[in-house]
Amino acid sequence: MRDLRFVITPQDINREGFASSVPDFNRRSEIMRTDMGYKCMVTNIVRLTEQERLFQLHIINPVERALFRFRPGQFLMLELPGYGDVPISISSSSSNHEFLELCIRKVGHVTSALFTIGEGTRVAIRGPFGSAFPMDEMAGHNILLIAGGLGIAPLRAPLSWINEHRDRFLDVDLLYGTKEPAQLLFTWQFDEWKMINHIRLHTIVEHGDAGWKGKSGMITDLFNDIVIDTARTYAIVCGPPVMFKIVCSWLDRLGIPMNRMFVSLERRMHCGMGKCCRCMVGSTFTCIDGPVFDYWTVMNLKEAI
Amino acid sequence: MIYKVISKKEFTGFIDALVRSNSSFAPRQVDRDHHGNPVYQFQQVQSVDDIAFDYSATASSAKHFFLPFREELSRFLFHGNDWEQQITYEANPVVLIGLRACDISALNILDDVLLNGHFPSPYYLARRKNTFVIGMDHLPLADCFCKSMNHHTVTTGFNLFCSDIGDHYYLSINSSKAFNFLREFETRDPNFDDNCMLVERRKLIQNGFQTEIDVTALPTILDIEFDSPVWEKWGDKCLNCGTCAMVCPSCYCYSLTESFTPNLKAASREKELYSCNLVDFAVVAGGHNFRPKKGDRLKYRYYHQHRGFAENASQQICVGCNRCGRACLAGINPKDVINDLRMEKESCVTCVSSSPRKI
Amino acid sequence: MAENMTQHRVPFQRLKIASFDFTSCEGCQLQLTNHEATLPDFLGLLDVRNFRELSSERHDDYDIALIEGSISRQDEVERLLKIRKQAKILVALGTCACFGGVNSLKNRFPVKTLIDELYPPMNIETLAVRKISDLVTVDLSIPGCPVNKDEVERIMVSLATGSRVTLPKYPVCMECKAQLNTCLFELGEICLGPLTRAGCNAVCTSGKTPCLGCRGPAEEINMASFLELVKERGLSLDDLQEKLAFYNAFEPWQNHEA
Repeated sequence: MRDLRFVITPQDINREGFASSVPDFNRRSEIMRTDMGYKCMVTNIVRLTEQERLFQLHIINPVERALFRFRPGQFLMLELPGYGDVPISISSSSSNHEFLELCIRKVGHVTSALFTIGEGTRVAIRGPFGSAFPMDEMAGHNILLIAGGLGIAPLRAPLSWINEHRDRFLDVDLLYGTKEPAQLLFTWQFDEWKMINHIRLHTIVEHGDAGWKGKSGMITDLFNDIVIDTARTYAIVCGPPVMFKIVCSWLDRLGIPMNRMFVSLERRMHCGMGKCCRCMVGSTFTCIDGPVFDYWTVMNLKEAI
Repeated sequence: MIYKVISKKEFTGFIDALVRSNSSFAPRQVDRDHHGNPVYQFQQVQSVDDIAFDYSATASSAKHFFLPFREELSRFLFHGNDWEQQITYEANPVVLIGLRACDISALNILDDVLLNGHFPSPYYLARRKNTFVIGMDHLPLADCFCKSMNHHTVTTGFNLFCSDIGDHYYLSINSSKAFNFLREFETRDPNFDDNCMLVERRKLIQNGFQTEIDVTALPTILDIEFDSPVWEKWGDKCLNCGTCAMVCPSCYCYSLTESFTPNLKAASREKELYSCNLVDFAVVAGGHNFRPKKGDRLKYRYYHQHRGFAENASQQICVGCNRCGRACLAGINPKDVINDLRMEKESCVTCVSSSPRKI
Repeated sequence: MAENMTQHRVPFQRLKIASFDFTSCEGCQLQLTNHEATLPDFLGLLDVRNFRELSSERHDDYDIALIEGSISRQDEVERLLKIRKQAKILVALGTCACFGGVNSLKNRFPVKTLIDELYPPMNIETLAVRKISDLVTVDLSIPGCPVNKDEVERIMVSLATGSRVTLPKYPVCMECKAQLNTCLFELGEICLGPLTRAGCNAVCTSGKTPCLGCRGPAEEINMASFLELVKERGLSLDDLQEKLAFYNAFEPWQNHEA
């Protein structure tokens, strides 16, 4: 027997040369980042309702902070070490590089744990992931924003974008409905949106209470209040599936082209990177192809609505 | 690619030298089933004598060498109110011997999905790069259908591929490492006869398939048949056990879990290979299950396998090894399910075309 | 040590725990004292108030009560009800507590026959065996004969940190396949793996012993298809019934039309 030692030496994939030997990396430089989170300090927690809180995060490392950019509609994976991570859409303005705001509802085990932490806690974020609302394409048009319940959270980023570039858009209507008046979120911004940004805000609640002076009913009842120039309007719809199903089919009947209606879908994403396949709807991944889809695509996803 | 021919005796010496100096895995007989047929798995081998070169197919694929069933992705170390995240891409060099063409095709598909997307997986990359793959061709089993999937031959994704041409192996050398190793052994350039024998061997394999699946327009048929009763029929049989995905060479879906260590000084983020047939695959926060029915879950497995998803450009990921069909206790197998779907379609065509005559 | 833990500024408190044995072998409780490598860490999570395998201390101010064993006597019923009143979280520990366990074999015979044949000439007071959820509300079940210490550790960590407590929803097959075992059906045996909740790391089947379902049914099992499988392979339906009945864990499915 010949004595031949054919030891295959471990290859270090951290070496740039090694990584580059793999063909067709779309984002070769990001390979090391895929699972490493950006460490953030929770700088502020605002109690919005019993079930919803607004978390303000500040990326600690200045270099990472400078690197982190997102587009309205994208989401990130928020990690509370030890408890796990959850996909959360970014509710703050994409031009705010100091802070990120995440509107979180207590539904699962990670969000429950997040409701026990205080300011100063260090969490991690990965991302941003997913598709965004095509703000540039929408410029020069009327915008119709329709939010149901927590759907206002993913809408707040495109809304901020519109407010910051208000002169690029024509008329902007925001229809916002919840079950009860107490569930209306971001009420402190309503006047700012109306007065300063000239956004026509229409709110409605399903069950009004003694103090409620606005309209009561379903979000579809607001449709009579607005005039839509279908040829010049883009719509963004966020809310529970049953709501955007009704709203979108109404917009469709009005004649807004399907590719000018955008919705944001929700699924339980595990990886955010199109690898774990947990969030697939039809033949697409919510995390990579979505969460923002135009209505034509959603119509074609069998399971979507 | 460089082609060489090596005698079987010399080849044995080569493999033995490789096995003795590296952590090596190859098909070994692990059991005999109650019909007396041998059961093979990829197991660690210490010498060439341990290897069952004449094996039929392993019960489980070689996927777990690249995608372990359970794997720690990162670790959080706590100190005070702060923490530090650690990620290691550990992969010890491994020699894998005796992979079939379809198994290597599955690796190429995994490369596509896990390395060429927006977010290449460093965990997979580390393992893939540190594995020395030696492929071997074989005559198809009665239920193999890799020819239908066009994965019965393979030209990339391995370091060395060996085709059996009688007394010799016809070697396709696909890496400098393999080439350097072979320098120490007696090989020769293929002559005319060797080339003829290789072609004969390929023909023999090509003609040896007894099972074929008509995959013409399958992605479209799957789309059209989204609400077909066929899914419920087969779904009713499904045990939701996840065996099909575990033995599959190309199923890669997973689940993430995170937990503190018992001393609470660290937390570990782990990945666990999952199956779309498992009850809670599509459960979202708050408990809603998007796919509560067995048939829906089974359908998604077939969608992923035979239609593909956006991340890999709608490429079909099934390679036709039929490991899922062999392992399924409920008797669900791709051939029957797909044929059933086609029957559904064809009977529709019949009724549509015959209806005018009835009027 | 654990006392000083304030992960994410959430103060950590040791779990005030007590453990009680009913009709059982005490093997599950003993199991909790195993796993020496992490035993100090595990005990660091606990403030043991009453646990005779671990400590001689006896206190009644516990929050978590681990119940091992099934209920087979009237005094056990009363003791269990008293524990239920004190415990904030009542845990069914092990197969006997969760399903009745091997003790349930007793229920195949009339109680009188048992007393006459097993304990003559004593007149022993005894009842048919019941799982504890027949008598009290159970907050958490940790099945297994015996329980898997890794799983108990994980669950205690979850309770201590306020994380979600979960058991796998899928069957043993997943774990069995991960160990590259040959399917016991291929070896001509009936194995309850496809029906049984995972979490045991397929210890029995890895040793070529068919699964008897000590961890109880997985979520949404398909008994109709499983019966079909046993019939199709020409395996014994009596053997199947025997296995299903072994731990009494498949009671709702037993004597399923064969």
